[in-house]
Parts: sequence; structure tokens; C-alpha cells
Amino acid sequence: MSKYIHEIRDPIHVFIRLDSFERKVLDSRPFQRLRDITQLALTYLLYPGATHKRFEHSLGVMELASRVFDTVTADVAPDTRPLIPEIDNPDEVRYWRRVLRMAALCHDVGHLPFSHAAEDELLPAGWNHERLTRMLIESDLMLPIWKSMRPPLDPEHIVKLALGARKAKNLRFTKWERILSEIIVGDAFGVDRIDYLLRDSHHTGVGYGKFDHYRLVDEIRILPSEQGSTEPALGIKEGGIYSAEALTLARYFMFSQVYYHPIRLIYDRHLMDFLKSWLAEGTLLGSGTFPIDVDGHLRITDNEVKAALRVAADDKHKAGHDSAKRILEHKHFRVLYERNPQDVKVHSDPGEAIARAAAAEFGDAAVRSSKPRLKNVAADFPVRTRDDRVEPAISMSGVLSTLKPTSIDYVFVDPDIEGRATRWLQENRRNILETAASEEEGS
Amino acid sequence: MKRGQRLAMLLMLDKEMWRRGSWCGETHLQKGTFFLQELLGSDSEYEFILYKYGPFSFGLRDDLAEMQADGLLDLVARHPGYGPSYVVAADADEFLNRFPKTVERFAHAIQFVAEQFGDKGVSDLERLATALFIRRRSKETDVEDRASQLVSLKPHISESDALAATKDIDRLASVVERSDLTIKQ
Repeated sequence: MSKYIHEIRDPIHVFIRLDSFERKVLDSRPFQRLRDITQLALTYLLYPGATHKRFEHSLGVMELASRVFDTVTADVAPDTRPLIPEIDNPDEVRYWRRVLRMAALCHDVGHLPFSHAAEDELLPAGWNHERLTRMLIESDLMLPIWKSMRPPLDPEHIVKLALGARKAKNLRFTKWERILSEIIVGDAFGVDRIDYLLRDSHHTGVGYGKFDHYRLVDEIRILPSEQGSTEPALGIKEGGIYSAEALTLARYFMFSQVYYHPIRLIYDRHLMDFLKSWLAEGTLLGSGTFPIDVDGHLRITDNEVKAALRVAADDKHKAGHDSAKRILEHKHFRVLYERNPQDVKVHSDPGEAIARAAAAEFGDAAVRSSKPRLKNVAADFPVRTRDDRVEPAISMSGVLSTLKPTSIDYVFVDPDIEGRATRWLQENRRNILETAASEEEGS
Repeated sequence: MKRGQRLAMLLMLDKEMWRRGSWCGETHLQKGTFFLQELLGSDSEYEFILYKYGPFSFGLRDDLAEMQADGLLDLVARHPGYGPSYVVAADADEFLNRFPKTVERFAHAIQFVAEQFGDKGVSDLERLATALFIRRRSKETDVEDRASQLVSLKPHISESDALAATKDIDRLASVVERSDLTIKQ
């Protein structure tokens, strides 16, 4: 007898169950490709266990998304119900649960090899992994799956929930769609984030990322953004505030200890340098960027890049030889400068000013910088108090009101000039920043 | 517009909105910046989409977070039941003093925005900002048609409120056009 429910073992969620339509997505080429896309890029060079893939993360996101969906749709307070009328239609609720699970499964299918974030440099203008994700969800590979379901799923609905309003800019979201997309990609309680923190913590061996996600998921609710507001938001019952604090702290520590570790950042930069040279050489892809057609995208994974890295590292005539060698022989650039709030008082972008001055002094090839996009603390969510009021989290929690976002900005130099560059910076730092500051107002 | 100038503009806006009675939650700064950009011609180049309470920019949200990280803004709890407020941090004046040209260039426009919108609540700001969003993006010139669009985008807004907001925005746009409030590039 054929099975309608399929189980997969998972180190984080123990069992993940799929129905036969979800199994078809799992077996599709776009999803199977995720078996060969590492979740944390070259982080395994620092944390050897971090070799896990987007494949299992996407399954985890699907599992968590439906747990949150079931919790928030089962308990909607009278003051919230009018904000999301869809909740009173059982057919709608069933339909959107299926859309949500499919969106969660597919939310990462557009990722480049090594999940590389430097998409401005590695894709043609106007493209990013979210646009690739949309292309795949709407491709001939996936459309037959959506159409074969009863009722059929609208691919645009899947795109909206998978990408969220920030990335699906030309699509207009209803409040209901916005809430559902927040279940996946939201700043406060997005399950993408919940799963990657738990999973990355597990695989890196960095315990900071763990928190009581069972309690957290159990306490998430749809609430008015503020008392009396017409805007619904994902919030939490007062009893879950400690697990929300733990999530926020986990995120804070994982970003500082793992994701924005300077050595991880410089390996990312070396990898980007290699990829740019390799793509420009055009022997495999011919376009100077990663492909943006379905077949081309599906052909390229970490495996092809790793093979090219090996070849380039062994042959000094190959494009990207220097970067490949640095990665494979662990001869990465060293930290010269790290941003701090005191320098910001002198210049609004001190890392950029110092990188520019260092490149002028030591040459472009000897200097690299990395300024990843700042991640907000995401403490701005509503809390349902025990006496049924809605209060902002920041006024309910000393932890959340104290934590601030952290700006990360590093300048790195070639290890061959590290000592010289350090002395140069000690002597010139103030002058560099003040000179750059005098140019900030510009013309 | 350079990053430092943009942050200086936001600090000025936050200060002036406070002075005019705003409690400067994220929505107030989002809408204030939207009015500066779309009504008064600021070259801040934020990309606004219809999201929470009308026009909303994720790029601006990132800038506000960076300003917190850099000690220029503090996020503080306010009255019970309401969201937190952005307050200019103690060290921000030192930063702002480095941008005298920006301060001069934006002073009148920011004063105008704070005067017109500083005492408005979130619902008023949502109506007015969405009315401006429609005015800037719609080919429709008829005021009643634009008010209908506002109702279709925001069904919780009544037809009479939508019409009043659309007329208010037309009036303000004409005030700006007749004066020298438009920000010089």
C-alpha cells in the first residue's frame, strides 16, 4: 500500500512529516539541489561540524511553519479576529496552511552556491536569490505540482509567503498574507530564523543558539500591533516572554560568535573574489555571473565551485588562483580594523574611510573589507498580558529593552603586511577619519 | 545623498517631531521621512512600499537600526499600550554638528513636516501618507477617484475620511509648490 504521509528523521525536530504533494516538491530538481548548498558557506573552516545543507533546513522551516500556523489559528482573540477575516473560513485556513508549508519548503531554492550573499557582484543587475526562488516556484518544474493539488495552489501565493513583503516588492500583500509571510521570514518570530539558529548551533557546537523553541512556538499569537491598532502582527503571550528573550539572545550570540566572526567574513570575501574571477573567465558558465535561467541555476552547486577552487589553487595561471589558495591553505587576510561607536562620532562610515586609505597606502590587492547588513534586535513585537492588554515587548522585558543592534564592519589586510599596516593605522587612524569626515558633507 | 547626510536628516526629523508633540515611534519616522521625500523632494532615495500603516521603507528601518547601533538613537518604552519611541541619543549632537550644510538645507522642510504631522496619530498618518502614495504613483487626477483607491487599499478607512485625506494632501502639495519649501538638491 502506498504511503500518503512520509516521515524524515531530523536532528532538530526528530520527525518531519510530509504529504505526497510535499514529497513531490522534495523530489523535484530545485529542492534536491539544496542537498549540495551548504547552509553556512565556508564556516566549516572554523567550525568543522558546520557542513549541513539548505536541504534539511528547508524541511525544518516547513515543520516549524505549520506548528506556528496551527498555534496561531487555534487561538485568536476577539479583538484580533476582525483584522483577519480569513480566520473564520475553514476552507481558507486549510488552503493557506498548505500554501505556507510549500512556501517554507521552497523559500531557499534560489540560493547561489555556498549560499553566497554577495549577489550584487555575482548576479546580473536586478537579480538576487529571492528572484531566482520566485522564478523556480513559477517554473515548469513546479507548476504541475501546484496545479495537481485540490484546490490548486496559486504560485503567486507561495511566492508571497516564501519571500515576504521586503523581497516581493511588486506584489501587494493583504494583512493575512503579511502575517503568514512573517511566520516564515519575519524579524521577530520567523521560523526561518528559529530553525537556522537551532540547526546552526547544533552543527557548529556553539551552544548559544539553543533556546526553548517548544515554549516559544506554543505562545506565539496574532495580536494587534498596539492596543486598538488595525494592523495585526505576530506577537506572544506574556508567558512566552522568557523564551522570546532567549531567542533574541541566541540570535545575538550566534551573530557575534558565528555568522559575523571575522574569519568567517574574510573567507566569504576570498570566496567572492574567487567566484568573480572564475565567472569572468567564463570557462564553465560563459556569462560573467551566475546563470539566471532555470537549467543554468540548477546545474551549479557547491560541488562545481569546490572542484574549480581545487583546480585554481593548484595552477597559478588559473583565474582566482590567489583567492583559491588562500581558502584551501587557510592563508586568509587578517583583521586590521574593527568598527566602534567612538569612531562613528568622527565619521559615519569609519570602516570605509580606513579601507580606502589602506588601499591607497598598500594597494587594492592587499586590503579587503566586510560590512554585512546589520541585523535588528527585533524587539518591537506585541505581548498579550495576563490581564488581556497588548503591550510592546520592550516595555515588558528588561533584556529586550537593553539589547541594541550591533554594526559590524571589518577591514582586513594581507598577512604579509599585517605588522606594517597595524603600525600605520596606529599612527594615522585619527587623521584618516578626520580627513574623511571633512569630505562627508561634500558638495 | 551620502550616508552621513541621510542620518543627520533623520536625527533632525526625530528632534523636530518630538518638539511638535510627536512620540516618534517607527511609524512616525517612516511617514515623516516619506513626506520629506515625496512631498518636499528630499533626495534620501528610500524605496517605499505599502506595508505597515501605509508607505514603509525597509531601507529606512535598517538605517534606524544602524543609528541605534552607533549610539545616535535610543529606542525607549513609552506609555502603556503603545509602541516604543526613537529618542535622539546624548552623543548625537556631536554627530549632527558635523553636517552644517545638511542642517541648513533641510531645516525649513523638516520644520514644515513636523508642524503638519507632528501631532498626528498613527491612523491619521496612515491615511495621509497613503493618500500621498496614491497621488505620486497614480495617473488618476480626480480627487474622488484617488479617494476610492485609498479605500480599496485600506478598507478600514471610511470614504469621507479618505476624501478628506486626499484633499488635505492636495492642499499641502500646493502649499509646497507655492513656497520655497522644496529641498534644494
